[in-house]
Amino acid sequence: MENLKKVDKDTLITEGKKLLDAGGKFVAAVCNDLDPELEVTYFFSSNRGINMTGLRYTVPKGEEVPSLSGATLATVLIENELKELFGLKVKGIAIDYGGHMLLAHDSPVTPMLKEKKAEPKGEKN
Amino acid sequence: MATRTVVPFGPQHPVLPEPVQLRLTYEDEKVVEVTPVIGYGHRGIEKACELNEYAKNIYLCERVCGICSYQHSATVVEVMEKLWPVELTPRINYLRTIWSEMARTHSHLLWLGLLADAFGFESMFMQFWRIREKVLDLLEHTTGHRVIQSVNIVGGVRRDISEEQKKMIIDVLGVVRKESQSLVNTLVSDYTVKARTVGVGVITKEQAMALGCVGPTLRASGVSEDVRLTKYHAYGELSFEPIVETAGDCFARAVVRARELFQAIDLQLEALSKMPQGEIAVKVKGNPPANEAVMRTEAPRGELFYYAKGNGTRRLERMKIRTPTNANLPAVLVLLPGCQLADVPVNVLSIDPCISCTER
Repeated sequence: MENLKKVDKDTLITEGKKLLDAGGKFVAAVCNDLDPELEVTYFFSSNRGINMTGLRYTVPKGEEVPSLSGATLATVLIENELKELFGLKVKGIAIDYGGHMLLAHDSPVTPMLKEKKAEPKGEKN
Repeated sequence: MATRTVVPFGPQHPVLPEPVQLRLTYEDEKVVEVTPVIGYGHRGIEKACELNEYAKNIYLCERVCGICSYQHSATVVEVMEKLWPVELTPRINYLRTIWSEMARTHSHLLWLGLLADAFGFESMFMQFWRIREKVLDLLEHTTGHRVIQSVNIVGGVRRDISEEQKKMIIDVLGVVRKESQSLVNTLVSDYTVKARTVGVGVITKEQAMALGCVGPTLRASGVSEDVRLTKYHAYGELSFEPIVETAGDCFARAVVRARELFQAIDLQLEALSKMPQGEIAVKVKGNPPANEAVMRTEAPRGELFYYAKGNGTRRLERMKIRTPTNANLPAVLVLLPGCQLADVPVNVLSIDPCISCTER
């Protein structure tokens, strides 16, 4: 993929704001389970939607990450989704559904995480 | 002091027979606050895409939505084709363009009918839907199916458009254009329609950008943005410029879709006249390589985003789908506060919401 920029979770907001201020628009965020880390990519379009830029960071599972919804409300639904489906601990989402935007109280927890392969049976040496 | 009342709009509502709830707070009859509530019918399609063999994802993803099913299948095959990448013949690109615009034509006719229905213009609703049937018939004649076409495969399409079918499409589109024109003339000049839509639900250009709006919702607010400008399929060889209105109200959103309806007909005719001869499918060997790709297309409701990650096996590592309604839903946060109770249905409908897409 072209125009993919590695960022740090703490610089995501600054870098995201730069793209928005330059006339960009938030498109989507994608999370990948790279156990024991999560890889998150925020995609922005610019130049009448023709160009696309991705901001990518990786964090260990369980670590808090900031929300971009303070800069653009467009990320609200998708950040809630990442929180529920991947367990990404997004802090400060402008409208936080408290883990129940898509998932019900009796739904599976973090269903989009890869299932861990079973440990081989038998005693460990 | 005004009385505050919280009223749930949905998840079952006559205007929007799909499961979504808008939790509306009213002061007397004026909306002051809104919270969209989704998740009533989430289907976990992204997860299912990881469990399927990659080729089966085409049939799964075109079921994300019954209206823009063609667009989903075209986008999912293109994102997977990018993983290799696969070089398509120009004829494949033209065929995909023609069917994409056919899908836009019937989708916009459907929406124009729904808009008329939302404020009680029943005869107009029926007439728009009557015309739409002709477009669905065209899809059936050319792909074999009216709703879920299943015509795309990784590396091409299953069916070609013959010279005979070409003539039939040109004839039918002529009728569709003529009949739609008379209805659209009524829609845009009718006093009642204007009274219910002009100045209602205004989204400014700045708000539309900040909220991440897409498609006609964005273009009606004066933003000249359209994924077709990226020249995917055969759009780079056709005369295309986005249709833009500046008022940002419900009326502007209706006008954009009405104008796009005729533009879609023009694009189909131009593509039919320019379509070169060639193969309709190319051979694709092996499994999707360990690679990642993004594909965006302009669905009738706006930008459709697919992300795919391969791992060299028959199954994809990850598939992400961001549908146009996912992007347009935050717009209700500015559309509804300040509007009257009676204007809520028209306002909500004006973003052409598809909850089936949202609950992918």
